Amino acid sequence: MVTRTVDLRSDTVTKPTEAMRAAMATAEVDDDVLGYDPTVFRLETEMAKIMGKEAALFVPSGTMGNLISVLTHCDVRGSEVILGDNCHIFIYENGGISTIGGVHPRTVKNNSDGTMDLDLIEAAIRDPRGEIVYPTTRLICLENTHANSGGKCLSAEYTDQVGELAKKHDLKLHIDGARIFNSSVALGVPVDRLVRAADSVSVCLSKGIGAPIGSIIVGSKSFIAKARRLRKTLGGGMRQVGVIAAAALVALQENVGKLESDHKKARLLADGLNEMKGLRVDPVETNIVYVEIEEGLHISAGKIVKNLEERGILVMDVSPSRIRIVLHHQISASDVQYALSCFQHAVKGGQSENGN
Amino acid sequence: MVKRIVDLRSDTVTKPTETMRAAMEGAEVGDDVLEHDPTAFHLESEMAKIMGKEAGLFVPSGTMANLISVLVHCESRGSEVILGHNSHIHIYENGGISTLGGVHPRTVKNNDDGTMDIDLIEAAIRDPKEEIVFPTTRLICLENTHCNHGGRCLSVEYTDRVGQIAKKHGLKLHIDGARIFNASVALGVPVDRLVQAADSVSVCLSKGLGAPVGSVIVGSNSFIVKARRLRKTLGGGMRQVGVLCAAALVALKENLPKLESDHKKARLLADGLNKIQGLRVDTSSVETNIIYVEIEEFSGTTAIKLCKDLEEYGILLMQTGLSRLRVALHHQISESDVQFALSCFQKAVNGVQNENGN
Repeated sequence: MVTRTVDLRSDTVTKPTEAMRAAMATAEVDDDVLGYDPTVFRLETEMAKIMGKEAALFVPSGTMGNLISVLTHCDVRGSEVILGDNCHIFIYENGGISTIGGVHPRTVKNNSDGTMDLDLIEAAIRDPRGEIVYPTTRLICLENTHANSGGKCLSAEYTDQVGELAKKHDLKLHIDGARIFNSSVALGVPVDRLVRAADSVSVCLSKGIGAPIGSIIVGSKSFIAKARRLRKTLGGGMRQVGVIAAAALVALQENVGKLESDHKKARLLADGLNEMKGLRVDPVETNIVYVEIEEGLHISAGKIVKNLEERGILVMDVSPSRIRIVLHHQISASDVQYALSCFQHAVKGGQSENGN
Repeated sequence: MVKRIVDLRSDTVTKPTETMRAAMEGAEVGDDVLEHDPTAFHLESEMAKIMGKEAGLFVPSGTMANLISVLVHCESRGSEVILGHNSHIHIYENGGISTLGGVHPRTVKNNDDGTMDIDLIEAAIRDPKEEIVFPTTRLICLENTHCNHGGRCLSVEYTDRVGQIAKKHGLKLHIDGARIFNASVALGVPVDRLVQAADSVSVCLSKGLGAPVGSVIVGSNSFIVKARRLRKTLGGGMRQVGVLCAAALVALKENLPKLESDHKKARLLADGLNKIQGLRVDTSSVETNIIYVEIEEFSGTTAIKLCKDLEEYGILLMQTGLSRLRVALHHQISESDVQFALSCFQKAVNGVQNENGN
């Protein structure tokens, strides 16, 4: 029996559309290492313009986008980077900035809205007078939207303030903007304005934007020239890469406009879940929904996830009492309703077990 | 005016064919990080089988394939790898094994045929008794075919002998097999037999096989599990990567049988170039699809000038020294392209000679 599958595990699961597939099949290509691939050149030029930076570089993943950015800003041995204790680079990128790049991380507490207190950031900056025992702080990283905080948006004002702090101490500012477009849409702030204070930004094309593969780093010309070289060193120098850049160009055109509706679906889902006894949903700003299972329900996240899976609803349990749901353009409004009814079943199961 | 272009710079310039493009368009995909993209899985299983190893892993480039292989074999701090002084890993991969991986390289002289003397390899292995001052040798790397030495093939006998040395000293053996299929075809040895002694092999799909992007690493199950994790760390974990793997699967099917004819074209071109006064090619050393062309002093031209002159005819080459050029054949170079290239070379060299009153 074919179950209807509603994959809410991540916005990375988005599959290429017909238009993307057609674009991939007809893409104009060339050897992007020996010279340059014309389609990826177009994509990089377009992204730089959109983000308001001088240049751009296509990379196979967001992880590589961040790794290259940190390592390029911190290209001198003995560097330290300030970043959130709950940020993607620190938690989910295998510690690569250290294990591969030799850069030391200095974490500052992430608030529940994804920010870090400015005074705590400033306090974490190493005093050069102590350099005999200190590494040298070179970079601050922000993450917008902030994944682990529930897809929360960092405002342009906050970003600018961190930028000023960075400038004051002669540091660089990198934004992990995997979902920067979600932030821009939710805040109603043009994306180039949102990242103006940043020296570099990494932007995912394979998440909500829906391309099959890839991310883009944007920054100054000199930064991108170094980044290109480091990309080669890491092994990210692909040949006729235009085949995937073509899909990304279509994705940019087709799907940025759909992000607002992803946010609407997320709010719809969140509201519906919040009405269910035993579930509590964190505030939703973009396309990510975190569901807390209240103690009284006596059913684990793992059990709910399994139950939902049997009905074709795929979600992620992030702890014994917490579930993450991510909306994207390949989830319809009817999928959302179906998901809600399946959650209701799963939760009722818990309630009836406990005689609620 | 549309100029006829004959791109002989590298076999990496191969563009995806119609069948590859169709395959990419219709590829079945999944999130290769969250689970396993089905087309990537298909390619990796296929490659493992072809190469006679337990498992495979698709990566964006040969550089990443080698980087991952060296770093996984040498995962303990303080490791050293033995490799050829003129190998691709040592010369053209930005020193990544050291700058990113912290692995120390110990080079051994590459002979003209791409081998390293067995006794020199053995002499380069660090004696554990002196570990207080030595790094620990963990890995030997071979390269087959050997790029800088004219695409020459390492025989299966030689490879096995190096494998024995490695085993004797508790070391691993990795083969940079970017062009391993060229070696297999030229030697008439099945590719799995050729790499039997190796613990891991990196194989390029984007060179002579003609896929747009990618390489595959093959090795044991446990090796590939570690490799997959390091691939993620380096940033090579792609999502719906099946779109690229679909093209690679077509490439394997369509272009493997064409390598022999690439070698024939190379021999044709090499013989023709050697006959041109002012150029010299060691035709006996042209074993696969790569030709190195020496420019004789009396010709009155240099590599840069000759490259430029030929570019005006639409012939693209790679300058590898003041008086040395490299030519790489691939399946998108026809026999008539070869003839055209020869006549352009003749014109260009004669032209210079006429300029100089020769």
